[in-house]
Amino acid sequence: MFSYVFRRILVMIPTLVAISLIIFLIIQLPPGDYLESYIAELQAQGESVDPQKIAFLREHYGLDRPMWQQYVQWVAGMFRGDFGYSFEFNMPVSEVIGDRLLLTMVVSFVTVLFTWAIAFPIGVYSATHQYSWGDYGLTLLGFLGIAIPNFMLALVMMYLANVWFGTSIGGLMDPEFIDKPWTWEKWKSLFAHIWIPVIVIGTGGTAGMIRKVRANLLDELQKQYVVTGRAKGLPPGKLLRKYPMRLALNFFISDIGSLLPAVISGAEITAVVLSLPTTGPMLLAALKSQDMYLAGSFLMFLALMIVVGVLISDLALAALDPRIRLEGGVAR
Amino acid sequence: MKYGFRSGVVLGLCAWLALVAVPATAALDEPPMLVEAVKEGKLPPMAARLPAKPLVVPFDGKARVPGKYGGDLRMLMAKDRDIRMMVVYGYARLVGYNEKLEFVPDLLESFENVGDRDFTFRLRPGHRWSDGAPFTSEDFRYYWEDIANNKALSPLGLPNVLLVNGKGPRVTFPDPLTVRYTWDEPNPLFLPALAGPSPLFIYRPAHYLKQFHARHIGEDKAKALATEKKARNWAGLHHKKDEQYRFDNPDLPTLEPWVNLTAPPATRFVFHRNPYFHRVDTAGRQLPYIDRVLIGIADEKLVPAKTGAGEVDLQARYLRFDDYTFLKKNEKRSGFDVRLWETVKGSQIALYPNLNTQDPAWRTLMRDVRFRRALSLAMNRHEINQVVFFGLAKPSNNTVLPASPLFEPEFRTAWARFDVKAANALLDEIGLTRRNADGVRLLPDGRPLEVVIDTAGESTEETDVLELIRDGWRQAGIALFSRPSQREIFRKRVFSGQSMMSVWQGLNNGLATADMSPEELAPVKQEQLQWPLWGNHVESHGKGGQPPDLPEAKELLALYEAWQKAPDSAERARIWRRMLAIHAEQQFTLGTVTGNPQPVVVSRALRNVPPKALYNWDPGAYFGIHRPDTFWLDAAPRS
Repeated sequence: MFSYVFRRILVMIPTLVAISLIIFLIIQLPPGDYLESYIAELQAQGESVDPQKIAFLREHYGLDRPMWQQYVQWVAGMFRGDFGYSFEFNMPVSEVIGDRLLLTMVVSFVTVLFTWAIAFPIGVYSATHQYSWGDYGLTLLGFLGIAIPNFMLALVMMYLANVWFGTSIGGLMDPEFIDKPWTWEKWKSLFAHIWIPVIVIGTGGTAGMIRKVRANLLDELQKQYVVTGRAKGLPPGKLLRKYPMRLALNFFISDIGSLLPAVISGAEITAVVLSLPTTGPMLLAALKSQDMYLAGSFLMFLALMIVVGVLISDLALAALDPRIRLEGGVAR
Repeated sequence: MKYGFRSGVVLGLCAWLALVAVPATAALDEPPMLVEAVKEGKLPPMAARLPAKPLVVPFDGKARVPGKYGGDLRMLMAKDRDIRMMVVYGYARLVGYNEKLEFVPDLLESFENVGDRDFTFRLRPGHRWSDGAPFTSEDFRYYWEDIANNKALSPLGLPNVLLVNGKGPRVTFPDPLTVRYTWDEPNPLFLPALAGPSPLFIYRPAHYLKQFHARHIGEDKAKALATEKKARNWAGLHHKKDEQYRFDNPDLPTLEPWVNLTAPPATRFVFHRNPYFHRVDTAGRQLPYIDRVLIGIADEKLVPAKTGAGEVDLQARYLRFDDYTFLKKNEKRSGFDVRLWETVKGSQIALYPNLNTQDPAWRTLMRDVRFRRALSLAMNRHEINQVVFFGLAKPSNNTVLPASPLFEPEFRTAWARFDVKAANALLDEIGLTRRNADGVRLLPDGRPLEVVIDTAGESTEETDVLELIRDGWRQAGIALFSRPSQREIFRKRVFSGQSMMSVWQGLNNGLATADMSPEELAPVKQEQLQWPLWGNHVESHGKGGQPPDLPEAKELLALYEAWQKAPDSAERARIWRRMLAIHAEQQFTLGTVTGNPQPVVVSRALRNVPPKALYNWDPGAYFGIHRPDTFWLDAAPRS
């Protein structure tokens, strides 16, 4: 077990290095650099730019150096916990992300809970009552949830809520709390606002989750041990809870790998549309303005989350499901 | 939000009632927001906070009426970095433009200008920074000696505006309230730079910045401080703290009407009134009237929707003419007025034939003035105006507006009529007489005359206009295709000559006066899309690009150089007119319409915002020239 974990962690290092290289290259692919998009943006608004100041900034930010030097500097910095400098915000990347991370995690966790709370009972119902009216009706709803793009749902809800209730959906709390410390009142305000993004972000995920629960459970329900259990007179509820449902849960655990990064990044597009103070819009803006260290470090962080998440879900699966063996895959 | 606003209004109302009930006394005049602090002794009373001679803002009683204190002004911006607009809107400058575009002292008590060479500035006695420290010539000295002439902070030397023929001014500080700048030769760009929306700051809050400067605290301590704050070196730290224009350091004292209290990143920025602001109304009450400015950050594309929902009190940025009908529909529901202000771009949308395009056949054609004239004649500007701008703009070449003293009607109309016959005649004269089966003319080498226009792909307005131009050109046997890309790629393509024609805005300053720089008319910058290589050549002092080789372009460059050395305004005006005439005759850029309206959303409670005005960057500083410190919120209900 220990050597397995050790080996897995060792493999993570070249993986992350490869990812960092790809991230850096892709961010550098579009023509120009941060300062050029900065100039272009100012000029589009009719503002003038002092070429001398730009030259100073280019040197100051190190953008005049060759690309490999910039890369090495960035990677070396990350090992020391220095994620580089955000040009857009004029401060270290770690300080930029700070407060947003907490809000993003709150939104994401609530969304995940919402998704599970809705999807799990429905999925179980659909599987046990396959091809019934209830199954068809809920499946239809589920497909609608997948089919409607999140951003559109967000726009429609924002419009309706504004016209009907006069509320502004943009943001996560009443404006007077935005710059205040975290008090009980502020949390209350947060939870009064959070349900809209949660519903919008959650619908797509819920629908997908329903399908997964249904499919996994149906697989198990066909198996012989279920038939045997039923033949021996186990009550249907107990049989379901005790055996097939537990096995059907495996995919929940293997989902952790993709869950971790999602919790950190939030749903980018929806967050932009709803103008949530989460990390998603920040990442998008950083990519658009070629604020490369902010975007790069953030993507790196997400990559780390994926790698760690996959490891955790593998270990958890092994611990929870006695059928899974660690040695099998490694020995080959 | 609404609650905060109402309580502000109620406070303002109380103050107003008090004023009406009791004859004004110094104590009662205090802005309600500051009363508490003054009572507790944290702030001196108003009389002690104001300079000995404050700037009295004229109130003519019609468009601008004395108001009352209090309230929050809500605005929206798209990015944290946009809070610099508060420096633009605040518009506290040493010397600023008034509404007639004349230079008037603002922060300064007076200034003296001898032949554009010798400038003497007099400060207001008792003028203070927003933290209460005195504003004196020491702040100018700090900039001049410790920043502009400091190798670590300004490795590239003085800003270009301060250099005349490569030589900087002599700066002296005879006493704490006097500063003098002297050049050997005239520097006509100095005052415009000080009065600009993004001004040249030749002063700094020295008392605050000294704590980061190696000369004042010693190299070792500065280094330690930089390491502690995770800056690359002390210069980097100083640079970061010293952002008067970015306005992102809440600790940095300022002279603007509102002081930023929020450090980015944030989704809402709060600005409080500057208790030491130097302007007063005619009753002697300190401005600004409005206590707080709240700036929400929302996605650029969401700004019109949020504005329509009534989430702002004053908004023009990120609203475009396309949004007008939507905003108008929401006027009643959300309790605001949509006003149409005039923009002063030389042309709302202009075409830039690239004289430096790589393809030799096209380059020859683009450089042929007859071809450019034919293109212009085949554009139906009247139709563009009617279809895209509801007839609210004016068909025009890309030139100055009638409001500019340099305007002449020919600049606007030369080669700008819609005359397909004349256009066809010109094209035949060039020798482009062969046509293909579709009726498109052929180049001498047999390729069809298909003009591909690069667009930055940002506005549907552009594509709509191109669609209309396509119809006109078609009648002249020219095919038009547009090639949308993304802003940086667009610029790269134009700069390298890969693009043969591009579409962008026209001249930025359609309100030019003789004393403003005519650099937009001469090939001096790479960003000029009609001759990027020539511009690059001049900008890089001959290191890049190509020297201009068209006689008219050379003449423009020579005229620009002559303008810089011109002894007086009359001579400068003569040069300006000559340059404008060359542009009108040569059609280096093809204008469409001008003076198209900018929607400005103004809450019904907000007073003193002019109903009709100019909305412009420089000169104008958008709202700045209209003095937002005199805007005030009425107690009248919003709807």
